[in-house]
Amino acid sequence: MTTTTPAPAIRPAAPSRPRPHAPESGPWVGRPVDRRDGPTKTTGTATFSAEYQLPDLAHGWLVHAPIARARITAIDDAAARAHPGVLTVLSHLNTPRLKPSPARPSLLDMSTMVGGTRVDYLGTDEVFFDGQPVAVVVAESLEAAQYAASLVQVDYAPLPATIDFAAAAAAGRATPVKQSLGMPTLVGSVGDADAALGRAAHVVDLHFTTPGHNHNALEPHATTAVWDGDRVTVWDATQGIDWFRKHLALRFDVPVESVRVIAPFVGGGFGGKGSVWAGTLLTVLAARVTGRPVRMALSREAVNRVVGGRTPTRQRVALGADADGRLTSVIHEAVLRNSPVGGGPEQVVGASGDLYASPHVRLVTSMVTLDLVPNTFMRAPGESTGSFGLESAVDQLAHDLGVDPLELRLRNEPETSALHHRAFSHRRIRELLHVGAEAFGWADRTPGGRRDGSQLVGHGLALAYHPAWEFPANVTLLLRRDGTALLRCGFQEMGMGTATVQAQVVADALGIPFDAVHVDYGDSDLPIAPNAGGSTQSASIAAAVLRSAAKLRRAVSQLHQRPGESLAQTLTRVGRDVEVSVGSDVGVGAAATSVRFIATTLLNQRRWVRAASGAHFCEVRVDADTGEVRVTRWVGAFDIGTVLNAKTAASQLRGGIVMGLGLALTEETVVDGRTGRIMNAGLAEYHVPTHADVPHIDIHLLDDPDPTMPLGVLGAGEVGITGVGAAIANAVFDATGRRVTDLPLTLDRVAP
Amino acid sequence: MTSQLDRPAPTEGSTGGLIVNGAPCTLLGIRANATALDWLRDRGLTGAKEGCAEGECGACAVLVARPDGDDRTRWTAINACLVPAASLDGQEIVTAEGLGSPTALHPTQYEMAVRGGSQCGYCTPGFVCSMAAEYYRADRVAAEIAPDEQERDHEHGPNGFDLHALSGNLCRCTGYRPIRDAAYALGHPDPADPLAERLTRPAPPPQRTHVAAPDGEFNRPATLPEALALLAEHPDAVLVAGSTDWGVEVNIRGTRAAHALAIDRLPELRTVEVDDTVIELGAALSLSEIERLLAGRVPLLAALFPQFASRLIRNGATLGGNLGTGSPIGDAPPALLALEASVVLASVAGDREVPLADYFTGYRQSVRHPGELIRAIRIPLPLAGITAFHKIAKRRFDDISSVAIAYAVDVTDGVVTRARIGLGGVAATPLRAIATEAALEGRPWDRATVQEAAAVLRREGTPLDDHRASAAYRSAMLGTSLLKLYAQPADPGRQEADA
Ligand SMILES: Cc1cc2nc3c(=O)[nH]c(=O)nc-3n(C[C@H](O)[C@H](O)[C@H](O)COP(=O)(O)OP(=O)(O)OC[C@H]3O[C@@H](n4cnc5c(N)ncnc54)[C@H](O)[C@@H]3O)c2cc1C
Ligand code: FES
Ligand code: FES
Repeated sequence: MTTTTPAPAIRPAAPSRPRPHAPESGPWVGRPVDRRDGPTKTTGTATFSAEYQLPDLAHGWLVHAPIARARITAIDDAAARAHPGVLTVLSHLNTPRLKPSPARPSLLDMSTMVGGTRVDYLGTDEVFFDGQPVAVVVAESLEAAQYAASLVQVDYAPLPATIDFAAAAAAGRATPVKQSLGMPTLVGSVGDADAALGRAAHVVDLHFTTPGHNHNALEPHATTAVWDGDRVTVWDATQGIDWFRKHLALRFDVPVESVRVIAPFVGGGFGGKGSVWAGTLLTVLAARVTGRPVRMALSREAVNRVVGGRTPTRQRVALGADADGRLTSVIHEAVLRNSPVGGGPEQVVGASGDLYASPHVRLVTSMVTLDLVPNTFMRAPGESTGSFGLESAVDQLAHDLGVDPLELRLRNEPETSALHHRAFSHRRIRELLHVGAEAFGWADRTPGGRRDGSQLVGHGLALAYHPAWEFPANVTLLLRRDGTALLRCGFQEMGMGTATVQAQVVADALGIPFDAVHVDYGDSDLPIAPNAGGSTQSASIAAAVLRSAAKLRRAVSQLHQRPGESLAQTLTRVGRDVEVSVGSDVGVGAAATSVRFIATTLLNQRRWVRAASGAHFCEVRVDADTGEVRVTRWVGAFDIGTVLNAKTAASQLRGGIVMGLGLALTEETVVDGRTGRIMNAGLAEYHVPTHADVPHIDIHLLDDPDPTMPLGVLGAGEVGITGVGAAIANAVFDATGRRVTDLPLTLDRVAP
Repeated sequence: MTSQLDRPAPTEGSTGGLIVNGAPCTLLGIRANATALDWLRDRGLTGAKEGCAEGECGACAVLVARPDGDDRTRWTAINACLVPAASLDGQEIVTAEGLGSPTALHPTQYEMAVRGGSQCGYCTPGFVCSMAAEYYRADRVAAEIAPDEQERDHEHGPNGFDLHALSGNLCRCTGYRPIRDAAYALGHPDPADPLAERLTRPAPPPQRTHVAAPDGEFNRPATLPEALALLAEHPDAVLVAGSTDWGVEVNIRGTRAAHALAIDRLPELRTVEVDDTVIELGAALSLSEIERLLAGRVPLLAALFPQFASRLIRNGATLGGNLGTGSPIGDAPPALLALEASVVLASVAGDREVPLADYFTGYRQSVRHPGELIRAIRIPLPLAGITAFHKIAKRRFDDISSVAIAYAVDVTDGVVTRARIGLGGVAATPLRAIATEAALEGRPWDRATVQEAAAVLRREGTPLDDHRASAAYRSAMLGTSLLKLYAQPADPGRQEADA
C-alpha cells in the first residue's frame, strides 16, 4: 500500500506590483501604452478556442489520407466504433454533404475567398492531397477519439499524382497567370525589358529558389462548435470572424444570422488562420451530426497537413544597368504552385515594379499545379520571398559595379512607380536608407567582410516593401454621460494589440481618458471587422472609429452643446448617452459598403502607389569551417506612416524580422517528392527561430503620416519580414564571397 | 509487492494526489498514460498550453518543486506535455494561474505585461513559468554589467538572469526581445513570497505510486530493490525516467505501455560519487542536476550540456534515458565514449559493468537484458587534457545533432599519448573513431598529424544522408571538426608542439 507524505501547502505568490496602467491624459495615439490583455494572457486566464468548457463536450480527431491522389475503395470503421467512448465515425459513406465552396472568389463578397480548399470533405471518395481528412472520429474523450482514429482502416486505389515542385517547374509545366483588377501585381510590362537587357552595359541574371513554409503559429488550430436547432455557435481560432461566419453559413446552408463565431483571442495566425480549413468545417459538421458540442484541437502535425503553407518559388531576376549603375531593365519571373482544389498566386514580383526606376520592366508569374494541400497566404505573401530575389540581385549588381549597395539604391530611387507610372502617396526610402545607415554605422564597415578568428564577418543591406490596403470596417461607438465610451467591433486579438490601439484612437477622438474607453471584440454579434490580413486591420478600423467619432460629435452638438463644454459634459448635463454606428452589416447597407469598397480600392489604385517600406542593415558571422551563419546585429528603419503605438508597432516589426530570420536560415517545409508527405510536420524538424538565434534588433520609425491613408497608417504587420532573406544573404556574400541563391542558407549551402 | 501490479480492477491504485497551485488534488481516476498537460487542462487549468506535444515549444511549461540538496527546494520548470500525470503524484506544482492573477500579477507576469512580452499570448504562460524558475533560483545574483558589455552578452542580465532558462520556449510573435527585457528587469523575490519561502524547506520526498487503469499501469516503486523485483517480474515493463523520449513516443507515435515503471526518483539512481579513480553518475539524475553537481569537474560534459536540447528538457532528461533510448544521434553517447565511460547495469542478480564501447549492438539495440536497468555511468579518472564537444545541427540551440563529435586527447611532450573520439550521427549506433584514434596516437600533435587524421576521420562510419544534412556534408564536417579541435585556443598540451 502506498503512503503519502502530505506536502506543506503553498499559496500563490503575493502581488508585488500594481496592474499595468496607462498615463492620465492624452494624446494617446503614438504612446507606447501597455497592452490591455497583458494581465489575462500572462496569468493564463485568457481563453483560447480549445479552452471553452461546455457541458457534454465530445472530442473529434481526424483520420488523414496517407496518399497524394487516390480513390477510397473501402472504409472499415467497425473496430473504431466498438472502442469504448466512441460516438461515431464520420466518412463519405455516412455523412450529409456540405454545400460546395464557391468556385470563383469575388471581391464583392470576401467570404468567398476564404475557403482554404474546394475539397468536399467527407462528401467525396476522392483524395486530393496527402493529409486530407477522410474520416472524423467523435468520442466522449480526446484519448478515445485519438485511439479509435488509429483503428479506422481505409483502402485506397492510387491515382497518378504530380508532387515535385522543382521537377514540374523545371519541366516548363508552368502556366502564366493573368492580372486581375484590383488585386496585387502578378504580371506587368513596360517597354521592352528583354531588348533593354540585351543592350545593357551591366547585366545580372540570377535564378533563385525559396522553399515552402508553414505558419506554425504557436496555437494549433482549434474549434469548438455547438448547434441549437439550426443555429450554431463556433469558437474558432480564426483571423476573420465575419468571413468565417459567412463561409460557414454558405457551406452549412443556413442563414448568416444563424451562425455565431466567437474568437476574442487567437494564438497567432500569420495567414494560416485566414481561411476556413478542414478542422473548422469538420468540427461544425460533427457537432451537427452528433447533436453534441464538439471540440477539435488539431495536433501540430495535423495543422501542417491540413492547413496550407507558403508556396515554394523559383525565380529569375535579371537586371540591366548602364555604366553609371542606372537600371535600364528589370525582369522578374516567378513560378509558384497551387493545387487542383485551391491555392493561388501571390505577389512575388509585385515590388519589382515599384522599388526602382527603370524604363523597361517585365514581371511574370506562372503556376504549376501540384497534388498537395493548397498553398495559402503567409505573412507578406509574395513580397517576403520575392524580395529575396530582387534585393539579392541588386546587391550583386552593386558588387559587379564596385558601387556601395546603398549608393546604388539611391541612384535608382524612382520619382513614380516604374511599372504603374503612378505617384507614390508617400515615399521615404532615401530617409530610411540614411537613418538606417547612420544607426548601423554602415559607412564604417569593411566592404568585402573581415576575418575574426575562425569567423567571417559580413554586412548586408536590403529594402523592405509592402503595399498598404484598406478594408471596410463597421463599428458602433457609445459615449455615456459618465464620460466612458464603448467601442464595439468584431475583430480578434491575435497579437497586434488591436483593442489597445483602437482604445487609444477613441480616447483622442472623443477627448476622454484611455482608461474610460472599453472595447468589445471577438464576436460576430458585433459590427463587422475586416479579416486580420494584409496589415490592414489597424488602419481600417481606425478609419471607421474616426468616422464614428465625427458622427458622435455631430450628434452631441445637436444636443445644444455649450461652447467650451466637452462631449461628456454635454451628455452629463442633458442626462443622455449617445450611440452611433458606422457601416452596415446587412441588407442594402452592406451591399453599398462592398460596392463603395471596390470603387474606392480601384480609384485609390489608379491614383497612388501606397506601401509601407523599410531598410534592413545586418551583420552576420559565418563559421569559416562549418558554414554556420549567425546574425549578430540588426538595424531596421521603417516607414509605416503614423505610429499608433510605438510599443506594439516595434514589436510587430521585430516579430516580422525574426520570422524573416527563420525564412533566411532554417525554415523549410520538406515534401517527400514521391509520396507528397510533409516530412517535417512538427516543431522538432520545422525550425522556427529560438531566442538564441535572435540578435539585438534596433527599430527606427519615421512616424510620418501617409496623406492618403486613414490616420496616416500604412500597417506594420508584414513589412518587417520583407527583405530579411536578402539582407542576410547579402551579408553572407559580403563575408564569404559566396552568393547563395537558394533558401534557407543552411550550413551545407554556405560551407566552403 | 507483486500484488500491486497484478491488481485487476480498472482505474484503481494508490496515489496520494498532488498539490497544484497550493491546493491538494486527487489523481484518482486518471489514465496511466495521461500527460500532466492533458490532466491539468481537463481540470480547467488551461494556462499551460499545447503547442507541439513533443517538448519543442515550452507552451506547456509548469513549475515543480524539486530537491535542491537534501533540505532545500528548487522550483524547476518542466514540459508538462511529456510527463505522465501519475509521475507527479506526491509533488507540488505551480502553473501560470498559480503564480498570480490578473489583479495581482506575479513579478514575472507584471514585467511580461508591461514590456510587451505577450502578443498573441499563447506562449506566454509557459514563458512565465520558465522565467519564474530562474527568478527563484537561489544562487542568482545581480552582476555589474557595463552597458556595452550588455549589448554583447545576450545571455545574462544585470540581475543575474541566465537567458538559457528560456531556451526551451518558442515565441512566434514577439521576436523575443520584449521577453528578454522582462527577464532582465526582474528584481529578487521578497523572502516572504510563499514560493521563495518554499525554497528553504525540503522538496516532497519520493513516494510509491500505483495506477491501474484500462489503458495500462503506472508504478513508482520507492527503492531500487523494489524496482528490480518489479522489473524481474515484468521484463516488458517500460522504464520511465525524465520521460522526454517516452513522452514523445506516447504523444506523437501513439505508443502505450501496458506497464510503466518510473525510476526517476529512486534515491539509489540519484547520486554522484567521486573518488580518485572514477566519477559515478546516477542514471536518474537530470542533466541539469548533473551539470550543477559536477560544476565543471568534467569539462567535456560541461561543453555538452548547453548544447543538449533546452533547459526545460535538461530539467527532465537523464543519462540513463539517453543511453536507454540508444538513438544514433543522441548526444551523451559520443561524449561518454570519448571519456571511456562504462555502464553499470543492475538487476535482481546484482550489478554488472559494461564498457560503453561494447554496450550498443545495433540500431537502438544494446547488451542490456530484459530485467536490467542502467543504474549509473562511470567515468574513469584522470580525465584527458584536451577535450571538446562539437555538435553540428541545423539550428544553433534546441536541435538534434546532424553529427556530434566528442574528443578526449592527451598530449605529453608534444606527442599524442591517448586519443578517444566518440561519434554520433555517422552510423546506426554511436561509435568510437578507432582508425582516427590510431592515426593520432604516438604521433606528434601538429598540423601535419591532424590533417592526416582528419582525412581518416572523414571516412569513419557511414554518415546518414537525410533532410538534416547530406552524407557528404556530414563527412566533411567530421574532418573539419578535428582541425577545429587543433585550432582550439588555450590547449596546454599543444604550445610546445607548435613552438
Ligand atoms: C525537444 C527535445 C529535444 C531533445 N534534444 C536532444 C539533444 O539535443 N540531444 C540528445 O541526445 N537527446 C535529445 N533529446 C532526447 C532525450 O531528451 C534524451 O534522450 C534524454 O536523455 C532521455 O532521457 P529521459 O530520462 O527523459 O528518458 P525517458 O524518456 O524517460 O526514457 C527513454 C528511454 O530510455 C529508457 N530508460 C530510461 N532510463 C533508463 C535506465 N536507467 N535504464 C535503462 N533504460 C532506461 C526508457 O525505457 C525509454 O525507452 C531531446 C528530446 C526532446 C523531447
Ligand atoms: S506542448 Fe510544446 S513543449 Fe509541451
Ligand atoms: S506571443 Fe504569440 S507566440 Fe509568443
